[in-house]
Amino acid sequence: MKRRSWIQKQGWIGYAFIMPNMLGILLFFIIPALFSFGLMFTDYQFANPNVSFTGLDNIERLFQDEQFYSAVRHTGIFLLSVPISLVIAFIVALVLNRSVYLKGLLRGMFFLPYISSGVAVAFVWMLLFQPSHGPINEVLRWIGIATPPGWFADSDTAMYAIDVVQIWFMLGYNMIIYLAALQEISAEQLEAARIDGASARTVTWKIVWPLVSPTTFLLLITGLIMTMKSFSLIQAITQGGPSGSTTILSLFVYKTAFSYYEMGYASAISWFLFAVILIITIIQWIGQKRWVHY
Amino acid sequence: MNKKKWFTTALSFVIATVLLAGCGDNKDAQGNDPQASAGKAVKLKLWGAVPVEAGPQAVVDAWNEANPDIEVEYIRYVNDDAGNLKLDTALMTGQDADLYINYTLTRLQKRVDAGVALDLASTGYDIDAQMGPDAAQWKINDKYYGLPTKKNMAFIWLNKKMLDEAGLPVPALDWTWSDLKEYAAKLKKDNVYGLLQHEASFTATIDGTIAGLGVTKADGTSNFDNDLWKQQFTMLHDMMFVDKSTPEYGEQLTSKMPVDTMFLKGEAAMLSAGEFIFRNANNLTEFPHDFQIAFATIPQVTADQKDYKYSGGLGDVLSVNAKSKNQEAAWKFAQWYADGGMLPMASGGRIPSSKSVDNKQAMDLLLKGVEDKYDVDSMNKVVFGQFESFQLSVPQQVLDARKEEYEKYFLNKQDIDATLASMAKRHNDLIKN
Repeated sequence: MKRRSWIQKQGWIGYAFIMPNMLGILLFFIIPALFSFGLMFTDYQFANPNVSFTGLDNIERLFQDEQFYSAVRHTGIFLLSVPISLVIAFIVALVLNRSVYLKGLLRGMFFLPYISSGVAVAFVWMLLFQPSHGPINEVLRWIGIATPPGWFADSDTAMYAIDVVQIWFMLGYNMIIYLAALQEISAEQLEAARIDGASARTVTWKIVWPLVSPTTFLLLITGLIMTMKSFSLIQAITQGGPSGSTTILSLFVYKTAFSYYEMGYASAISWFLFAVILIITIIQWIGQKRWVHY
Repeated sequence: MNKKKWFTTALSFVIATVLLAGCGDNKDAQGNDPQASAGKAVKLKLWGAVPVEAGPQAVVDAWNEANPDIEVEYIRYVNDDAGNLKLDTALMTGQDADLYINYTLTRLQKRVDAGVALDLASTGYDIDAQMGPDAAQWKINDKYYGLPTKKNMAFIWLNKKMLDEAGLPVPALDWTWSDLKEYAAKLKKDNVYGLLQHEASFTATIDGTIAGLGVTKADGTSNFDNDLWKQQFTMLHDMMFVDKSTPEYGEQLTSKMPVDTMFLKGEAAMLSAGEFIFRNANNLTEFPHDFQIAFATIPQVTADQKDYKYSGGLGDVLSVNAKSKNQEAAWKFAQWYADGGMLPMASGGRIPSSKSVDNKQAMDLLLKGVEDKYDVDSMNKVVFGQFESFQLSVPQQVLDARKEEYEKYFLNKQDIDATLASMAKRHNDLIKN
């Protein structure tokens, strides 16, 4: 009999330990996911026992559906919030990494949005952005803008207003991760650069920024994935309105599945969403060689 | 070492079995309950969207008192997408929902398709005779799958005091949108809107218009681009942006205006809404008001308009789950509920439709203690009047597409002709699908 190493023997116990969790993943994630893949090729309506196989009809319908294309556009605008939030978070982290007064308090304040309840936050922003007497528009009127934007009340600005909330929401988390990365940078490197006569700006963008690039990469990938899947914020503020202008793909899936009960079509949309996330992640993974320095 | 491997495999298997069995046990306990216990009471679950304290609890308590062998429990669901999804899921299992109340024909249709609504023909209960001619609007494929238990009503609530101050009479029953527009402009004051519209009544006029005209034209294409809609939309748009007698659409949408509270506080002279406002209007402790409320119909678009139908008819359609194990008991309750059991809900505006219930009794309950708060004459004519009514049978997708398009018009992103054209186009696309 072949001798097995201690590690190999222990392996079984390891499997036993992760089994409850794995069972959960299998039952509540993998099987439903495969099920929805199958549904994509049917006309299944929720609760309706009559199901027939329709081949690629749902996918064909997807690419002819104008609502789908506008959902893709809105998702694109929504994704803009990720890089913007990263840059702002980086700058804030830089400032807070120096010796500023009330550093601890400020850090806490920037992180607060991330731990507060999403629905409560949504409500506060609805009040702030209220078009006729919300504080933001009051200020804009006071500084001389006679007709400030309608924000959530206007189909042209609603998606951007959502972006603002999302940026604000993600800022704290991104900032904390950046702060940790900044503290990893050794003081010698920066000092050497300064002795060589590099300006503060050069140090920041030519030395510090590349040194935290692995962090940027991580935050970018997770941020894009999270944002693409995010749902509750928009559902709480606009429910995809006005006139569908904030319906991103995830809301489109929700509406199709749980409002219209078209499970087959909804599965097709969500697998499309999955494919997009996968492709974006792969592209970034390949592209990282150009700009991420480990 | 083989022994050890077996041991761990066996152990994990045992753990899994115990875990799974744990779940299984619960299910069995619930599932077997009705059959195993011949002597014990049958338990029924009734799903409805009215808050439990606004009548349902009193109804269920009265039933349970009189029928110890059938115990009914009321479960409240919120009548939105998420709430209906919850109900539909419960219906599919056949265990957690024996009786349920439908509020729109579209939802009932879905449940009939899913096979969870019992065809009531077998019960021998004559719904047409009992509930009146409006009941037939709830027939699906010429069959009844639910009991329309209450009278649906929608009208314009008027602040009589403001009307008197402006020297305006209570409007005639056949008034039009131009009259309404004029009223709103005259009644408007600083911090007082001429007209507020509840979301549920926002489309009452245009729905009543196509209910008469037909949702589609003779050739099967959409009727969403008809001229009456154009006139109504344009007038409403004027009221928002020219007269400023009603809130701008975007404003109302984003601030989630509590229109009923505003009306009862005297911040609006007229309110277009359903009978559910009675719940708050009769509650003088939370919503004190010193004015009388008068009523007007929801106006038609033009005076010479043909076949205009009024929002109303019957509602609160009580169905028995065809997958329930206790259908007989459930039906017994349903019949009792419709034929008078539901009376405690009348004080919140839910007037029973069954002829077994004395209308006078329901009205007394509705007006108990607040008789002086209503204008009796217009109330008798409008609230208890008889009008030609309708139930709209248009799929949710079509309604949502229509809403998206008229929202663009009321947000000034699209002119009226483009709006009508794209409403019709999207409707046609969905008809084809």
